[in-house]
Amino acid sequence: MTDTTTSETASVDSRAEVDAAVALEGVWKRFGEQVAVRDMNLTIGRGEFFSMLGPSGCGKTTTLRMIAGFEQPSEGRLLLEGQPVADVPPYRRNVNTVFQGYALFEHLDVFRNVAFGLERKKVEKAEIRRRVGEALELVRLTGRERARPRELSGGMKQRVALARALVNHPAVLLLDEPLGALDLQLRKQMQVELKEIQREVGITFVYVTHDQEEALAVSDRIAVMNEGVIVQCGAPEEVYEKPERPFVAGFIGISNLLEGVVEGGAVRLSGGALASAPVPASCAAGTAVQLSVRPEKIALDELIEDGMVVLSGVVVERVYLGTTTQVIVELAPGVRLVALEQNTYRARSDDRWELGTQVRLGWRPEHGLVLREG
Amino acid sequence: MSVEAPVRPDAAPAPRRVRRSSDQAREFDRPRFLVGFTGLFYLFLFLPIAIVVLFSFNAERSLQVFGGFSLRWYDAFLSSESYRSSLTASIEIALVTMVVATVLGTTLAFGLVRSRGRTGGAFNVLMLVPLVTPEIVAGVSALLLFTQMGLRLSLETIMLAHITFSISYVTVVVRARLAALDPEIEAAAMDLGATRMEVMRLVILPALWPAILASGLLVFALSFDDFVLSFFTTGESPQPLPVRIYSAIRFGVTPTINAIGTLMLAISVIAIGLALALPRLFGRRESGLGVLLGEEGA
Repeated sequence: MTDTTTSETASVDSRAEVDAAVALEGVWKRFGEQVAVRDMNLTIGRGEFFSMLGPSGCGKTTTLRMIAGFEQPSEGRLLLEGQPVADVPPYRRNVNTVFQGYALFEHLDVFRNVAFGLERKKVEKAEIRRRVGEALELVRLTGRERARPRELSGGMKQRVALARALVNHPAVLLLDEPLGALDLQLRKQMQVELKEIQREVGITFVYVTHDQEEALAVSDRIAVMNEGVIVQCGAPEEVYEKPERPFVAGFIGISNLLEGVVEGGAVRLSGGALASAPVPASCAAGTAVQLSVRPEKIALDELIEDGMVVLSGVVVERVYLGTTTQVIVELAPGVRLVALEQNTYRARSDDRWELGTQVRLGWRPEHGLVLREG
Repeated sequence: MSVEAPVRPDAAPAPRRVRRSSDQAREFDRPRFLVGFTGLFYLFLFLPIAIVVLFSFNAERSLQVFGGFSLRWYDAFLSSESYRSSLTASIEIALVTMVVATVLGTTLAFGLVRSRGRTGGAFNVLMLVPLVTPEIVAGVSALLLFTQMGLRLSLETIMLAHITFSISYVTVVVRARLAALDPEIEAAAMDLGATRMEVMRLVILPALWPAILASGLLVFALSFDDFVLSFFTTGESPQPLPVRIYSAIRFGVTPTINAIGTLMLAISVIAIGLALALPRLFGRRESGLGVLLGEEGA
């Protein structure tokens, strides 16, 4: 398929991992004055479920479209399975896409939609029937071969789009906010299904979403993007528990950010309290930092243990969420922390967090993350 | 204390009041005079046509008294060399106009939908000009243009004039359809291995063809019974049927005219009927009429 480019690959530098399904090397994408993607270096392994997560306009969809071949990088190199693909048009890349709006062919029935890619490759009729049958079984749509797309529900259309892409056994499957148009219940269900299907077929998934919960739920690895740059890339646990930048801490989950200045092995908070925390070596004394504490790591009143960092404040809001209760505490005017309390059998009566109550809150020093600006 | 709703003593007359207001609503929705009005409208619309059709089968020469069924006027029409060549000319003009205008109009629709910026906007508006230009102006200007260029007036000049004004009809219909098409389906087809030509052949044209077909047949009908443009751009002989009829009635109306009129009506009705029926026959839910009226397939 990439026969025209093999001569080039003789000189491929050692940076490109042999095992990589997708590799971006110093890729830039500009639209006129605007920079959509800046100097991106990224390696996605074979069989990986890789997510690109970020607010709209962060460059995640542009990156996806470059991998698919709908956009060309302004600068840098893009490799699919170790081969540079600059000259390979979309229809010759071993990559398939699941589009946000499904983009099904309305004039064809489900079978013909799924068979479309195989028919283009002139696969034998019997083989097409077999593989389409398999793909439809995989997405649990057996029996709906003759249905027209407009007769299907949103979730079913989504599955047809998935089968239509998977049936070609691409090296990489690109998914552009594939669950964006579904309601919450169906989304949760499809997240699990996607994950199962990916494990079953073993194809590399590159998944674009702005929904942080979704990214955490499905991915092996997440790249958190902002303004055309990957801010942090790692396993879901890593980006959630150990965000390296305030942006990541703020974008994934609820984050409590407190301003402060490094002072020895601790942070002097703007309120005046000294909070001990694991200060990274790169932060010298006097460096302005933000201290991030996840809401579920905060203990209230009698749950506070010895050795915790303890602050006190006033309850300003209580949000009951079923399994948990969010307690919002104001430490000083304008400085608020959110604490999450599990509503387990140990939970006390609701009136405990009456608004205006004075409350103490604390967390273990190691749960305070010292983040540098930027 | 008590959960029951208090029973008001004045509740009794309420049902009657409700009934009366619903009666009023019904009368307001469908006033009876509208039925008569609509009936009159259709009577005035179709009665003259019905009379022409009826008298085309008249055994008598009279245009007032029906004297039994006969095909003699059709025979008179078809056995006249000059009428026959006019009919052939009209069909020829309509067919050529249909094919050429449909191809050009569809291409123009693509250009207009895909173009961005100010130029595209300007052409989108300019394209509508032929639809609002009085036909007499179009006819006179076409005549002036052709004679200035030294073209001999003939069937070809009529075709040129017809094609020019028909393109806009095709473009309006096809463009609406094309604009409603999800741009992602092209990306999806290419993503699945279709080349640009295959995207066109396998995805875009199948989605557009009800619109293309409907507009083509509409153009056929418009061209077939066009008089004004044809009148200004026709040569000596053969003249298209409407022009031929016009010259004939200057020497008095004969029942042959009724037969020709009926035949033309039949051909136009068939063209429009096909435009409506073909998309349905091929298993599409939307009809050609829906496409022409700009309805979206539900």
